[in-house]
Amino acid sequence: MALKDIKSKIKATERTHKVTRAMEAVSAVKMRKTQSAALAGRPYARAALSILARLSGSAALANHPLVKEADALSKIALLIITSDKGLAGALNGGVIKAAADAIAAYPIENVTVYAYGKKGEEYFARRGYRIAHAYENKKDDIELSAMEELAAALSHEFEAGAFGEALAAYSNFKSTFEQLSSVRRFLPLSLSSVERLVADIVPVKGKWSELKAIEAPASYVIEPEESEMLSYVVSRLVSISLYHLLLESKASEHSARMVAMKNASDKSEEVARDLTRLFNKIRQAGITREVSEIVGGREALAT
Amino acid sequence: MKAFHLTVARVGENLFDGEALSLTARGKEGAFQILAGHEAFVSELVPGEIHVVAADNKRYHFETPRGGVVEVSHNQATVLL
Repeated sequence: MALKDIKSKIKATERTHKVTRAMEAVSAVKMRKTQSAALAGRPYARAALSILARLSGSAALANHPLVKEADALSKIALLIITSDKGLAGALNGGVIKAAADAIAAYPIENVTVYAYGKKGEEYFARRGYRIAHAYENKKDDIELSAMEELAAALSHEFEAGAFGEALAAYSNFKSTFEQLSSVRRFLPLSLSSVERLVADIVPVKGKWSELKAIEAPASYVIEPEESEMLSYVVSRLVSISLYHLLLESKASEHSARMVAMKNASDKSEEVARDLTRLFNKIRQAGITREVSEIVGGREALAT
Repeated sequence: MKAFHLTVARVGENLFDGEALSLTARGKEGAFQILAGHEAFVSELVPGEIHVVAADNKRYHFETPRGGVVEVSHNQATVLL
């Protein structure tokens, strides 16, 4: 490689380094924000899910359409939560793979995909799946109401019998360095599936870390009108749990991107150092050659 | 007076978590009060505010602009705003 090429390569690597460093810093700030949002949201989600679990287990909900195992079991809905942008390491790939594995047993035409985030949408659209709704996943401060709309759409379709089961694929935030791609069933509601969701969001340590067994009371006094009230409560709780999945995914996304960008910055530093070394070596070799040529020439002249 | 465990939470923030003597709120069918030993109960809250008397007799009240859900079981009450 010529000296000039190496020089321009070093420049290019340094420029890349600048970009990844900046992205790392931006992601670090976003990561802190989204992580604290996800962690702060856990007690709320846990409380909501516990209520949901107790309700699902009690007689009050036994006949509710969202609890009944549906007949249309051959059809399935998939809610996939990914990021809009890439450069987040293996994060989106992991979620998409987990989701694809979960629906592998179903023929393509029996799967309805609800995509939250472009990466998931692109993947499943390319493979010919039907995308019922695609949402952008750009903003970090999402309102609960955004999820209420999605939860309402999903519950409505489910009650209408469009599918017999709904899965959510998302990335569960464990720590900055560890995100777990998870697939959870959220419709029809069942005590066991909600309990699993609760177990997922129990923090490793601290006040909420003990996992209490969820016991469902046999019956509830429900005010006002039973069916109307339950639909409201259940759809609200479903939207809270979906919202929580979104918060977890957000925290995971920024953590993964921060780590990926940190690795990229470190690597680019290393590459720039190696290239500089190579550059110096070649330059020195050139100088040595020239010196020996001059010396050789002089000696030839002297004799 | 006997106490019960009460949690009042909003997305991203726990407003109250501890022992309480009473919780007064307004549901679709009118105001109601929860005391210790209340039977299992679920209701929807209308926008307004809720009042809590903590075990140490301190009084709290919280705004509920968007309504909420209240659930009571096993001497434990949860209000989600």
